Order: sequence, then C-alpha cells, then structure tokens
Amino acid sequence: MLSSRAAVRGLQLFTWRSLSTSTCVQEAHGKEVATSSIDCSQPQYNDRLDTPLPDIPYVTEFNTEQSKLKEKEKGPWTQLTKEEKLALYRLSYRQTFAEMKKGSSEWKTVVGGLFFFLGFTGLVIWWQRVFVFGKPPHTLSEEWVAMQTQRMIDMRVNPISGFSSEWDYNTKQWKK
Amino acid sequence: MAHPSQLGFQDAASPVMEELLHFHDHTLMIVFLISTLVLYIIVAMVSTKLTNKYVLDSQEIEIVWTVLPAVILILIALPSLRILYLMDEINDPHLTIKAMGHQWYWSYEYTDYEDLGFDSYMIPTQDLSPGQFRLLETDHRMVVPMESPIRVLVSAEDVLHSWAVPALGIKMDAVPGRLNQTAFITSRPGVYYGQCSEICGRNHSFMPIVVEAVPLEHFENWSSLMLEES
Repeated sequence: MLSSRAAVRGLQLFTWRSLSTSTCVQEAHGKEVATSSIDCSQPQYNDRLDTPLPDIPYVTEFNTEQSKLKEKEKGPWTQLTKEEKLALYRLSYRQTFAEMKKGSSEWKTVVGGLFFFLGFTGLVIWWQRVFVFGKPPHTLSEEWVAMQTQRMIDMRVNPISGFSSEWDYNTKQWKK
Repeated sequence: MAHPSQLGFQDAASPVMEELLHFHDHTLMIVFLISTLVLYIIVAMVSTKLTNKYVLDSQEIEIVWTVLPAVILILIALPSLRILYLMDEINDPHLTIKAMGHQWYWSYEYTDYEDLGFDSYMIPTQDLSPGQFRLLETDHRMVVPMESPIRVLVSAEDVLHSWAVPALGIKMDAVPGRLNQTAFITSRPGVYYGQCSEICGRNHSFMPIVVEAVPLEHFENWSSLMLEES
C-alpha cells in the first residue's frame, strides 16, 4: 500500500500534467498551468504533408537581425542572396518537405522490440514444454495414427471432396 | 469426422448441410471481396504522395457506398432466409428419437414401436481399441436408417447441453424441461461424429455424439439386438 501511494504521488508530481488532456481546458479558463502546453484556441504552426500551408509562420517574434531581413524581403526579391532566402524560409517554416518526408529510425526499435518479445515468448513456451506439460496421449504415436488413418479410409470419412476423396481405392494409395 | 488440422467444413451428409456449404462459399466470397477492397484502400491511403486528401463533398460516391452495401446485404439475406425456411419444412419423419443430455453422457430413446433406450458414454482414452478416435468414440451409437427423414427431440435431464453433428448440419440446445425438435435425412451411409456444444461441467468436452446411418435392414437387426440386450 505504501508503494502504491508513492506511485500515485509520483504520477501527480511528475507525469500527470504532461499526460493530462485537461491542461488545455484549464489554460483556456485562465488557470496558470506549469508545463509547456499549447493554447488550442489560437492558430498553431504544424509541419504536415497533407496541410502544406500552416496557419501561422514558425517564427513570429523577430530579433534585430531577423527584422532587418524581413524589411529587405519587402523589396525586390532578386536582390536577396541565396543564404537570405534560405533564412527567410526557415523563419516561416520549421522543416522542409524533404525533412518532413524523411522519417525516423523508430521502425528499427519497434522491430527489435518485436523480435525480442517473440524470443522471450519462445523461451516461456520451451520452459513450459520441459517443466509443465505431461506426456502426450498414446493416440498421437505413429503406429496409432497409421491405424487411425486406415480406419478413416475404411469408414469413407469425407469421401466427396475431403479426406477419403484423396485415396485411390483401386490402387490402394493416395492419389497423386 | 474432421481430419487433423482440418480448417473447412466436413463433407455434407444431409441435404441441409449441402445448402449450408454453398451458402457459406457464397458469403465468404463476398467477405473476401470486401476485405480485399478495404485493404487496398488502406494501403493506397497510407502510401499516397498526394497532399490534398480531404474531399469535403460528393453526392455520387455517397449514394454508391450506401446503395451497394444494401444490395450486398440483400444478396446475403435471401439465400440465408431460404435455408432457414427450408430447415423448418414439414418433413413427415419415419422415426422419432429422443436425445437426452446428462452430466456427462447422452441417452437415446427409440419409443415409436418398442421401448428402446440406452446410454451413450465416451470411451476413455485408455480403453480405446486400436485405431479408434480419441474423445470421439462412444460405447453405443445412435443408429438410424439412411435416406429416411428422422426427427430428433433434444432435451436435458440436469443442466444445459447441446446436441451437435456438424456433418449433418445440426446443432440443437438441450434445455431441461424443454423439448427442442430438429430433423435430418442422411444422403449417404456412414458414421458421423459430434460433441456436446454447451458448457455443462467438468466433462463437457468428454460426452460426444455418434450417429451411424445404415440401410434399413441393418437398422432393424440392430434395434432387435439392442432390445434383447436391455
């Protein structure tokens, strides 16, 4: 019980705010919330392939240097150097399309985790076979299965398109 | 019976089961077509390079994907209802058998002409004769004349059971205090296995059903023998 109280306290102090969806609602109602959370009532910036034009530019408050660049942008663009054009792009957008499409190495972690847990499951199953399971029934032995198969053929089990339809009763062997 | 690792249905031993097989083929094909279409759409949507993906309005496709599923459902419902009513047809049975479920065995009563009744217990694994099927064989089988309409009245003496024989396309709950009726005709002679299909206690998996369909003379010999025995 002590440890569960400690766990709840830990959740409350360190992770609850960042996991909670109620922070947006709280902030909208004027309550000061400590963690970095977004104000959903204002237009947000986003890098998404399917909405290529974000609602606001990435950088909205400019320092002196950036303000000077923005002033120069109001003039003819042919007078902008390549670096200035790139800097202006980076002021409006955080990522280029190429960077957005690039993807991450997350799949390697996922696949690695998948194989790890598959392997672990295999270990558990092997342990069960050795230490838990009893002997299989004697009807699974090869001799019994052979007698059983012959009996199924003699009884014409599923003779139309199933089991016995694969047996050739004239030549007494399985059909090719 | 099913062969080991069998996935599909057993071959039909009655006309109703044949109908069910064809209906299942028809419906499963529709299911595969729809699933393939949905899988294709998912893959196409996930892998597209297009950015303008959000169409807001289109009357034509909305009509299509409302009417087409309704049509498909009708195409499934009509054969289904046909078989449902087929199963309830007046069939004038030659023989009526009562199958009573107990914990944990079945008992069969043939009381049309004489008073014949017997219990049908599973043969335990250690007592099997060579080649017999584990968990499926019983000491006494329910023998019926082949190609004759048979009525089975299913009930139970203690808890819920269910009398099921997949090759004949039959499953009927055995409810204590209630008589449930089902009927079948076997199209061919043979031995057909089934298992209790309603949880009924510790040996629910160990009270199988075996129906043996034989020519009429054999049935008559068998019933005389059984009457003498009891």
